[in-house]
Amino acid sequence: MTRDSMLFLGFIGIFVILNAILLVGGYLDMSWTSLGVITAAGLTVSLYSFLYRDNPLFKLAEHIFVGVAAAYIFGIYWYQSLYGEVVVRIFGIGDDPATMTQRLLLLVPSVLGLLILTRMSVKIGWLSRISFAFVVGVGAGFTIPRYISAFLLSQIEATIRPITMDVDGLNLLLILIGVVSVLVYFFFSVEHRGVVGGISKVGIWFLMISFGASFGYTIMARLSLLIGRIRFLLDDWLHVM
Amino acid sequence: MERLLNIDRRIIFAFVFVGVAVPLLIDFSFPIKPTEPVQRVYDEFERVASEDDPVVLLAFSYGASTVPEMQPMSLAILRHAFSRDIKVVAICLWPEAPGLAQAALDQVAGEYGKEYGTDYAFLGYKPGLWAPIINMGQDFHDAWPRDTQGTLVGDIPVTANIRNLNDFNLVFDFAAGDSIEFWWIPFGVEKYKFAFSGGCTAVMAPDLYPFLQSNQLRGMIGGLAGAAEYEKLVEIPGSATAGMRAQSIAHLIIVAFILIGNAAYFASRRRGAA
Repeated sequence: MTRDSMLFLGFIGIFVILNAILLVGGYLDMSWTSLGVITAAGLTVSLYSFLYRDNPLFKLAEHIFVGVAAAYIFGIYWYQSLYGEVVVRIFGIGDDPATMTQRLLLLVPSVLGLLILTRMSVKIGWLSRISFAFVVGVGAGFTIPRYISAFLLSQIEATIRPITMDVDGLNLLLILIGVVSVLVYFFFSVEHRGVVGGISKVGIWFLMISFGASFGYTIMARLSLLIGRIRFLLDDWLHVM
Repeated sequence: MERLLNIDRRIIFAFVFVGVAVPLLIDFSFPIKPTEPVQRVYDEFERVASEDDPVVLLAFSYGASTVPEMQPMSLAILRHAFSRDIKVVAICLWPEAPGLAQAALDQVAGEYGKEYGTDYAFLGYKPGLWAPIINMGQDFHDAWPRDTQGTLVGDIPVTANIRNLNDFNLVFDFAAGDSIEFWWIPFGVEKYKFAFSGGCTAVMAPDLYPFLQSNQLRGMIGGLAGAAEYEKLVEIPGSATAGMRAQSIAHLIIVAFILIGNAAYFASRRRGAA
């Protein structure tokens, strides 16, 4: 028996003993909630076992997650969207107040949606292009003007406000220097030497600081998730908090 | 030096685990000072509370993978809203969100004795990413004909008089992805010009600061730290406040490892040059 196999069996043994102690000690009762807590604790520890090394417990937990998530999302899509808003409305099931015109209008996106499924057939797969053309056309039509307005015009407007002699003014000046220098850094039609080189170096500094801030926030986010799981293990499962 | 540079990553994991677990078991606290973006969210809800018959739209756009960050934020916002008699309409734009939103609403409504229908309503999930936002801006009842219990929104007191997004005193999105940046701001705020704030995971927060500066986003709660700051403002310490102890200690450990790693790197480079 290899060292890893012994660790694997040892882990399962400790997990079983711990749960037996928790059940006998009255920290967990024989209810569905407690079974859920034990399952969640087992899956959490199994997933974190990857930090030691890839192993069968990690793979098992990973596959259970994928399966459960897919089934859950399908359930939500089916009951709240496909059945709740398409089938019920088109066929007027229950006390649905939709008029005949609304029902007929719903047929248009429903048929377009079904046409996408024709991609699975070599013979009639070309029909899906009608749906994709609609999606691309509507998407571009909606998105391009909205993005120009939200990400360009509004941002430019906020960047070129008059600079005042206070803290807000200093912030605005910093933002202005940052925007201009980073834009110069990404302007590759001119060689980055002399004044242009100097400004682009300032741009690099701004970029580095922003990457650092993003990385710091990412560490904070990941730690928050770890804190959540450890809190669950210590409090809901082991009851030591 | 070489040993320090090639340290087994499992040793770092063990340090981080201890740095997170021990502060959760010991009761102590670090001072929490609300930052400006979080204060702005609080001020927005206070503004809403001072208006007649206030009602806010809360959009839940997160799933189970970000619960430790997002759920404390949702609870803190709901507590603030219900404590100030602000009515709440909740929707979900992420398929994983309905169960989490329902749990948060049930818990906080129970704490404040709020009644379903008159004080709050839950309309469930709608697919389409940004499409429901455009639809809500035109006709709210057409976008959400029924709540999760199958009741027509026209028959629910809290939603009966809502015609579109501008009828809400404030719209707030709890975002684990890019729903604030790529759905609500371009397709909602820019098009219909309603008051909008958001809460997001810490990963998303740096990307949203430009929208705070342009006032497209009136306030922002970023990650667990933001949630803890909001708990401080509403004076109801919760799991975010407790989590900040572990967060702070773990950050110190990571900073220490970065410093040690850099010191070892520069020392080994100098030795190599010599």
